Amino acid sequence: MDFYYGLLQIIGMHTILGLSAYIVLLTGQVTLAQAGFFAIGAYIAGMLTVLAGWHLVPSMLVAAVVSGTVACLVGFPALRIKGLMLVVATMAFGEAVRLFWFNFDYQRSKGEALVGPLGGEGFKQIRYFPENGWTTGEVATFVWIWVALIMAALWWIDRSRAGAVLRAVGEDELAAQSVGINLTAVKVTAFAVGGFIAGIGGAIYAHYTTHIEHSNFGVILATFAIAYPILGGLTNVVGTLLAVIFIQGFLVEGLRFLGDWRNLLFGALIVLAMNVRPRGLIDERAMLFLRRMFGLAKRGTNA
Amino acid sequence: MDLVDFVQSITDGLLFGATYALIGIGFTMIFGVMHKINLAYAATSIAGAYVSWAVGTLLPLPALVTFVVAAIGGGIVGYLVYLCCFKFIPVTSPLATLLGTVGMLILIDEIIVHETNGMPQPYPALFDDVYFEIGEFYGIRGDLLFIFFLSLIATAILLYILYRTKLGIATRAVAQQPVAAQLCGISIERTNASTFVITGLLGGLAGAMIGASVGVLSPLLTLPITIKGLIVTVIGGLGSIPGAIIAGLLVGAFENFFQALRGVTERDMYVMLLLFAFLTFRPGGIFSKTTSRD
Amino acid sequence: MLELQALSKHFGGVHAVDDLSLTVNRGEIFGLIGPNGSGKSTTVNLICGVLPVTAGTISFEGHDITSAQPHRAVAAGLARTFQNIRLFSHLTVWQNLWVAQGRTDGHESSRFVKRWLAGDSTARRSVSDLIAFAGLSDRGDEYAGNLAFGEQRRLELARALATGPKLLLLDEPAAGMNLEEVRELDERLRQLVERGITILLVEHVMELVMGVTDRIAVLNFGRKIAEGTPAEIQNDEAVQEAYLGSSNKA
Repeated sequence: MDFYYGLLQIIGMHTILGLSAYIVLLTGQVTLAQAGFFAIGAYIAGMLTVLAGWHLVPSMLVAAVVSGTVACLVGFPALRIKGLMLVVATMAFGEAVRLFWFNFDYQRSKGEALVGPLGGEGFKQIRYFPENGWTTGEVATFVWIWVALIMAALWWIDRSRAGAVLRAVGEDELAAQSVGINLTAVKVTAFAVGGFIAGIGGAIYAHYTTHIEHSNFGVILATFAIAYPILGGLTNVVGTLLAVIFIQGFLVEGLRFLGDWRNLLFGALIVLAMNVRPRGLIDERAMLFLRRMFGLAKRGTNA
Repeated sequence: MDLVDFVQSITDGLLFGATYALIGIGFTMIFGVMHKINLAYAATSIAGAYVSWAVGTLLPLPALVTFVVAAIGGGIVGYLVYLCCFKFIPVTSPLATLLGTVGMLILIDEIIVHETNGMPQPYPALFDDVYFEIGEFYGIRGDLLFIFFLSLIATAILLYILYRTKLGIATRAVAQQPVAAQLCGISIERTNASTFVITGLLGGLAGAMIGASVGVLSPLLTLPITIKGLIVTVIGGLGSIPGAIIAGLLVGAFENFFQALRGVTERDMYVMLLLFAFLTFRPGGIFSKTTSRD
Repeated sequence: MLELQALSKHFGGVHAVDDLSLTVNRGEIFGLIGPNGSGKSTTVNLICGVLPVTAGTISFEGHDITSAQPHRAVAAGLARTFQNIRLFSHLTVWQNLWVAQGRTDGHESSRFVKRWLAGDSTARRSVSDLIAFAGLSDRGDEYAGNLAFGEQRRLELARALATGPKLLLLDEPAAGMNLEEVRELDERLRQLVERGITILLVEHVMELVMGVTDRIAVLNFGRKIAEGTPAEIQNDEAVQEAYLGSSNKA
């Protein structure tokens, strides 16, 4: 049973990571900085629970606010650039954050042991869950409460005018400006919200693994962050969840019996998926189909 | 750390930077023609080197022929990448292409790991026994010098193709005015495909040069080279070939310069922050002409 | 209402717009015509803040809006359509209009909160009105990209109206339309003027321009060569020369 709880935790954590990139991608910005915000959330929440002895939930919120703030600060200069420039610039920023933690030492003695982040050795002994006697089932439930909260919030944003505004900016910036949308405000807000969500994800990750080090937060993680929403499709938050289940549940865990053939299939299936469904697993047509099926089609005409 | 060591490491870096320049040219050309990023390009290049390695294990090749085989291998893989990630995915879904090339990068890497059991493989070097001594402590490695000149020749051939042949003129036409080029009877699809083959040839050559100067081939090379290639591309300015060449040499020199300063791991962090600042405040690269281009 | 004074835009050595002054009065339909490349679209882009101005000033209702950011121009009451239609094609018809409804009276920061508190009921009603105006009543949930060409033109016009403009800049709205559609557009523009909207019409299609406008300015090589009523313009020698070339006069 613990195996499945563990898998649930992984899927939940990656879903949060993917959702943090989802809202930024909606505005048409491809960012590789999410791993950096994830790292900020992980280290700060870990330090608050381990060194300051805080409760987990306020630690997570503070960590998320910090990474959201950093994301907001990154959003302003990043406004100036688009496309490949933005990809490389955000990647550089994410790497800078990772290297910051690589060089960051702050240890204090707790009992007879020294705890706290120690540069390249990482941050060990983030033992909040075991110390407070949480079972894996409880941890999994905790993770999924956060997943549910974040998905609900993004779902609501998506259905409100704000969601349409984000998408409008993503489709055509000039046209969006010409109907009165303030590009700066929209893009920076998307970055900040994405950073906030990534911070929460990072905080959960730190406490789930109990040991984090800078190499966990490299370009690969950042790539995964944008891969989930792209693979799932940007029409809907559920797409991101499905993509995480497809990658983490099916490709990584489900195909374990294939041995190293699994890794070959991994890349090939992504290539295939993008050829067959270029707008993601759940695209507009799938949405229309689902809406018709559940009789939810008429939103515009019932006013 | 004395001055001579510094000059030495910068020289080595500058010479090795020629390979980054070739990779940067590849990225920049694909971007120039298709306005899309091919993240599998560095993997293509390493794959080309592996093809020549595989051929070399079957029948002994003279070292120079290895380079040619690597280039051909890169060209073939480049075409496959075009087929898998660009040909059938609609233009209106740039994100799908982007993720597709990530998938391709993983696929190529995993094929290599699968075939070599993840072990690094020795790669033959050329002129590694030659060493030009200048003064008492300073000198130039023959293999690096060879690489440098080889990439100069490759770049010269590429520029000749781009500016003097029909194929090259068609390529540049598509890059500048795709619609007008089509009206002139140029097939965009064929031009795109040939761009992938040409950049693949170039990449394969670069891959072989990297293998030869490092001495081994490893799938672990792809990610750092992808990142360096992207950095070279954006610093040089998107779509600018001379920019990519100079940026490649600069990145090579800087990298070695900072490696010589190791011990202070903080440097890397500042380098990344500098890069971020550079890109956001000078988005056109070193040779910026136009300010807004995506 | 809208006043351009000595407006210039240079691209390197090319003077796309050169020392252009004109005034659009409240409640009229003002036509801006000229041969290809005469600087009409550049003028529209300068007014909307898409391109920075090289020299000169633009004022709207007495406020200086020279080189203001595009969303500021919209907030001031300017809205536009594009020569080549630019809809949000992956949003529905309904969403396209909804997005444009940012402008309400009141302070910028408080209006966002107010909108949430008040709910979207008023917004919904006016969106439905606009959909009806565009003749797309049964297509509200269709993606804009799936609409026919004529429908897209009508939707873009409705989207510009959704911002609640006082002045509407239409960049070749009749391009690619057949005669019947042009007649429909003519009718629609007259309706808008009755609602109190002023229109600056940039157009090639003479049937529309000559029929519907009150006054016309003619551009050639970025300069204004004539201004007057449609009848005056039709008989203007400089205009005929610009359109037909100088050979037949010499």
